[in-house]
Amino acid sequence: MGYGRRRFERKGLGNATFGLNITSMTDMFTIMLVFLLQTFSTSDVQIIPEKDVRLPTSTVENNPVQTLKISLSKTELKVEGKLVTKLKNGYFEKSDIDPNDKNFLPAFFAELETTLKNTKFDFVKDGKILLQADSSLSYETLRRVMYTSSMAGFPKLKIATVMGDGN
Amino acid sequence: MRGKFKPRIHGSAEVELDLAPLLAVMVKLVPVLLISSAFVQVMMVETDLPQVVKEAIQNQDNLPKKTTVGLEVSRAEGFKITTLKDGQTFAQAVPVNAAKELDYVGLHKALQKVKTDNPEVFRIELSPEPSITQKEIVKVMDEARKSRNKDVKFIFVDSKKNEEVQTDFMFPDVVFANMME
Repeated sequence: MGYGRRRFERKGLGNATFGLNITSMTDMFTIMLVFLLQTFSTSDVQIIPEKDVRLPTSTVENNPVQTLKISLSKTELKVEGKLVTKLKNGYFEKSDIDPNDKNFLPAFFAELETTLKNTKFDFVKDGKILLQADSSLSYETLRRVMYTSSMAGFPKLKIATVMGDGN
Repeated sequence: MRGKFKPRIHGSAEVELDLAPLLAVMVKLVPVLLISSAFVQVMMVETDLPQVVKEAIQNQDNLPKKTTVGLEVSRAEGFKITTLKDGQTFAQAVPVNAAKELDYVGLHKALQKVKTDNPEVFRIELSPEPSITQKEIVKVMDEARKSRNKDVKFIFVDSKKNEEVQTDFMFPDVVFANMME
C-alpha cells in the first residue's frame, strides 16, 4: 500500500447553528444614543450657520426665535440667503455706500424694504432681525448693516452666536 | 403527609438576554437623532430675563432722575465707563493689560462696582470704536450681562409689589450709542 497523499476533507458542520454576539454592538449604540440625545436641540427654530461665517462664541443661552435672517461674511451680505452686496476683505466697497451718509447702504435698504412690503409674516413686520456676522468683522462694517436695517424698519436686532465660554 | 414544595434549582443555569429587539430599536433611533441633531447650536444675544427684571428695565425710562451708564471701547486705551447721575458725571477707566489687550476681568469688576452703586440701572450704552471686532463686542456684552460671582447680588425694588428683589443681572440691555454717528 503506497503512501499516497490523503485528500483534505473539511469536516462538515451539518446543521449546526451559531449565535451572533451583539452585546458589544448594543453597548456602542447605547453610548451613541446618549450622546445624540444630549446634542438633540429642543429649539423651535433651527439656524444653519452660513458656510463662510464664523460666529462669535457667547455665554448667552437664549434659543433663536423667528426673525428675518441676515448673514454677513467677509465677502457677502445676504438677506434670507439672497445675495445683496459683496464685500472686500470685510469692508463694503465705496460704491455700495451712500455718498451723503457713510453708514447707509442703499442696495441693502431697498432689499429690506421690498421684503417688508411683500411679507406675510408677523415677525418680519415686527422688525425683528437676526444678524449672523463673522466674528472677525469690525464694528465699522457691522454699524452700516445695523444702521441701514434700523432705517428700513428693523430696529430689533439680535446677534447670532454659538454656545461657548466667550473666549 | 404532603411533602414540602421545593423548587428545583439548576446549579449553573444561564439565561441569555435577547438583545435583538433592543438593537432593532436603537438602529432606528440613531439615524433619526443623527439627522435631527444640531451639532453647532446657534444662540442669540438677547435679554431673556425674570419678569421683575424685565419690568425694571421698562421702568428705568420713567425714573424721575434717570441714571445712564456708558461704556466706550478703545483698542489703544481700553474701556471707559461713564455714569451720569443727578447731573454729575463719574468716569472710570479700565486700561489695556500688560499684553496690550482689552482687560475683560477688570471690566467685569468695574461694572460690578457701577451696578452695586446703581442697582436700578439695567441699560448700558455701548460705544465701540470702528476697529473693534464683533467677537470683542459680544465678549463685552457677556461681561456686562451677568455677575460671574454668584455671591454678588444686586438689590432693587419691584415696583409692582413694592418689595426688594435680588438679581445677578447687571446690564443685559445693551444699546449701541454711537450707531447713528
